[in-house]
Amino acid sequence: MVAEPAQDQSVQELEDKQEWWWVAEKKRSKRLDYLRKSVWKKGALGGNYAPGIKLDLECATLFTDMWKFWKYDPIMMRRAKAIAHVLDNKTIFITDHSQLVGYFGSLPNTIMWRVDGASMVNEEAYNEPGIMPEPENESLQKVAELNDYWAGQTAVDKVARILDPEDAVKFLSGAIGWGAPSSAYGYSGKDYEYLFAGRRGFEDIIEEINAAVENAEDKTVGVPGPEILDIYDRLQNWDAMILVLEAGIRHARRYARLARTMAENMETDEKRREELLKIAETCERVPARAPRNLQESLQYDHFIQIFARTEAHEGAWPARPDYYHGPYYDKDVNVDKTLTKEEALDLVGEFMIRAYEVGGFAPRWAREGLQGITGTWVWTLGGVNKDGSDACNDLTVAFLQAARLVRVSNPTFGFRWHPKVKDEVLRECFECIRHGLGYPSMRNDPLLIQNAMHWHGHPLEEARTWVHQACMSPCPTTKHGVQPMRMASATANCAKMVEYALHNGYDHVVGMQMGPETGDAAKFHDFEELFQAWVKQMEWLTSLLVRTVNLGRYKDPEFFGRPFLSGMSERSVESGLDVVSPVGDRGNCWVTAFTWVENIDSLAAVKKLVFDDKKYTMEQLLSALKANWDGYEEMRLDFVNNAPKWGNDDDYVDDIMLRCLRETARHSRVMKCPSGNSWPILPENVSGNIHYASIVGALPNGRRCGDALYDGGISPGPGLDKKGPSAVLKSCGKIDHVSDGRAFLLNQRLSPTQLAGEKGYQLWKAYIRTWADLGLDHVQFNMVSDETLRAAQKDPEKYSEVIVRVAGYSAHFVDISRKTQDNIIQRTVQGI
Amino acid sequence: MSTCAECRSFFLREDEPGQGDCVRRVVDPRQAFYQSKPVREDNDASGCESFQKK
Amino acid sequence: MKCTECSHEAGVSSFRYLYNARIDAPITLRQCPQCQAWLAVDEMAGEARQRVDAGEAPWGKSAGIEGLAEDAR
Ligand code: SF4
Repeated sequence: MVAEPAQDQSVQELEDKQEWWWVAEKKRSKRLDYLRKSVWKKGALGGNYAPGIKLDLECATLFTDMWKFWKYDPIMMRRAKAIAHVLDNKTIFITDHSQLVGYFGSLPNTIMWRVDGASMVNEEAYNEPGIMPEPENESLQKVAELNDYWAGQTAVDKVARILDPEDAVKFLSGAIGWGAPSSAYGYSGKDYEYLFAGRRGFEDIIEEINAAVENAEDKTVGVPGPEILDIYDRLQNWDAMILVLEAGIRHARRYARLARTMAENMETDEKRREELLKIAETCERVPARAPRNLQESLQYDHFIQIFARTEAHEGAWPARPDYYHGPYYDKDVNVDKTLTKEEALDLVGEFMIRAYEVGGFAPRWAREGLQGITGTWVWTLGGVNKDGSDACNDLTVAFLQAARLVRVSNPTFGFRWHPKVKDEVLRECFECIRHGLGYPSMRNDPLLIQNAMHWHGHPLEEARTWVHQACMSPCPTTKHGVQPMRMASATANCAKMVEYALHNGYDHVVGMQMGPETGDAAKFHDFEELFQAWVKQMEWLTSLLVRTVNLGRYKDPEFFGRPFLSGMSERSVESGLDVVSPVGDRGNCWVTAFTWVENIDSLAAVKKLVFDDKKYTMEQLLSALKANWDGYEEMRLDFVNNAPKWGNDDDYVDDIMLRCLRETARHSRVMKCPSGNSWPILPENVSGNIHYASIVGALPNGRRCGDALYDGGISPGPGLDKKGPSAVLKSCGKIDHVSDGRAFLLNQRLSPTQLAGEKGYQLWKAYIRTWADLGLDHVQFNMVSDETLRAAQKDPEKYSEVIVRVAGYSAHFVDISRKTQDNIIQRTVQGI
Repeated sequence: MSTCAECRSFFLREDEPGQGDCVRRVVDPRQAFYQSKPVREDNDASGCESFQKK
Repeated sequence: MKCTECSHEAGVSSFRYLYNARIDAPITLRQCPQCQAWLAVDEMAGEARQRVDAGEAPWGKSAGIEGLAEDAR
């Protein structure tokens, strides 16, 4: 429960005390207050679901029933029929005071279960305590029945059977990466250009599909030849797309009918009755036809997200709401004046809450890696139009204002900064950061547009449409640029690169030979030998993960199938291919590089203390590492304090960072995705730095097995950035943020006291200018004091609404594990 | 045997003969809402704890 | 090393290692194999400094043992 603010305190008093969560409660409308407090939080606390959260058995059962029934259909059609059955029959609900509707589970407290995704996950669902709906025994029996049916025939089971056995064992060891190589658990981009810029509703798309079908059918009764053979499959796919699009329209009309029933039979309040009729009108309009106003536009977008998530467990939420809904805001608020700014703010705030509500069952490793949230839902704001002009609009501001009122930890925002952003918009970004939300993260738009063109050859106009595909990676929202499936399984636990280079490819934590044998490090004569061993381990590790993902991507249309996502994507509507098929997709892949900076600090420490200063031998170092530094404390502190550390503008170590990045960038071009494009790396961590704490062994940077790893993609180690924020920026600025990788995550903690008032804003603005001048692509801030965070540790009830930036996402501080909390407190608070 | 058609929560769909929605108010520990689930009018209501005669 | 809670005595490494207080300070968090208490340990001196309750205060900067890591340096 949310503790109540002291009623007798004024907004001003609460603002002075920087208790922003109480300020929000006092400032927001009654409606937003109700909706915010009534929403069921689906993010796990530490790694556990909150009391009252239940597994959604209704949808899983409906899906499986129909899947079984249509067993002779091809996979797209079979899935389409199963999804349609779910949408037609599951329980739907409308929460009091809400104006937007749609949830992918059947009740507000349920978490969706992707029953056809992975048997391993299904087994975890069975064993997860506390999430079975009452009566528990009946539910457990139902889950067991479903698990029996799906065992061996989920999407991931099918991929696992054809993986190289050695690759599979190493991947499944959990030591080198995570994720599932299937779009059942992917990050799926939406073709917003087709849907929103193209002003299409589902009926328009169905018409286009029908035209394509007619054309194709003409060919199947024409001259025989090889070129008509795959048309038969495409015809089935098109039928499947139509089937789900129609089901989507019917599903929305169920909400329309419910809202009308409520208005006509139950509701006594005249104003609410009008709202319900408006919901009915909205759901009769969208998704069938293109939206006409803000409410319809937001509702359409939300339906699209819900439908896609009914089809797959999407772990991200690529979106650019200010850009695509902005014209409707302008029309309603500024031109037609059918909405006041306050009314629009209510809609925008609720739009965020509706997304916050969404959550599916995730395995424990994912819950630990993404503590407090259900996926990395980073919505993109700001940026430029296709012609390069400033794209910020009044809705950009409304989203930033609404965020401070509803204070959800998911979705968060990434703001596309560029030199033409107006001061009033930048101020709104700063206010969100000052209010301790940890978002928006700041993204360097001109640089990232260039980066998208450099790595994947996206044309300028398309690159300018980019959204955050997950936490960080930019991806266009266009026909050939949109990425239908990015799987988290190309997520590398990079600290293993240096660990394996030091141990001849052997992993002492999991106890098996993992990487190639690159030589006994005790016999290395110089740093170069160690570095070359590192290069080989890096090549091996990234290649293994990429092979797995490429295979999963290539086989996905056969093993899983995405009729809904296909039906909402221009490429598939035109071609009749599953949108996950790489055909016609330009490719936008990246390897998420977790625990990256440990490589740099470790290599630098060995170079300095072993090879340059000759203070220790490699043998001594290896003995200390094997002992997890136990009994070597003085030596360990030497490796921490007397070897150069990344983030202090010291070329000795910064040059090693550049060498590592450039070797990896070279290899990124050797590895190809199924579309033939490159695989750049993207250093960041979500909360993988905690997840991997007990999986990465002792390292020469001074960490022991068990210690949290560094928190950011290129953030210095907590407490090791001793030379202040400019030195951090200068070190990070030595990286070429276009050609050295896809993006680079930098966490910074700033002092809320220093950044109070107008002076604080000006200081921050100057900092951002320097950040941009030095050519960094990303920075995000925590601006909550140590005092507040410590108080929250002692009295979590009272501080339940304090939000912090963990890594590529934000979370409520009390929802993350003690170890993660401590890791955040330990970060250096920079005076700027 | 009582059927859903006789229940206060049953609302017949205009365009689908025999088919209706069971619409009920629910108050859970966090929020209040109306829920809807498809039911047929001739559905056996004898086992339904929420049945309320019209 | 001697546990501050139950006086169990054994080598430092037989106290289960949990995590560090700060990478650049010799304070770590270990668990007594006998009474399971979490202890703030000075690795340099090989001494348990104080009990740290789970969910209380394992880190040098966090709630409960603010400043301990700095003091120990
Ligand atoms: S299911 Fe029960 S509550 Fe619903 S309409 Fe039928 S009898 Fe009434």
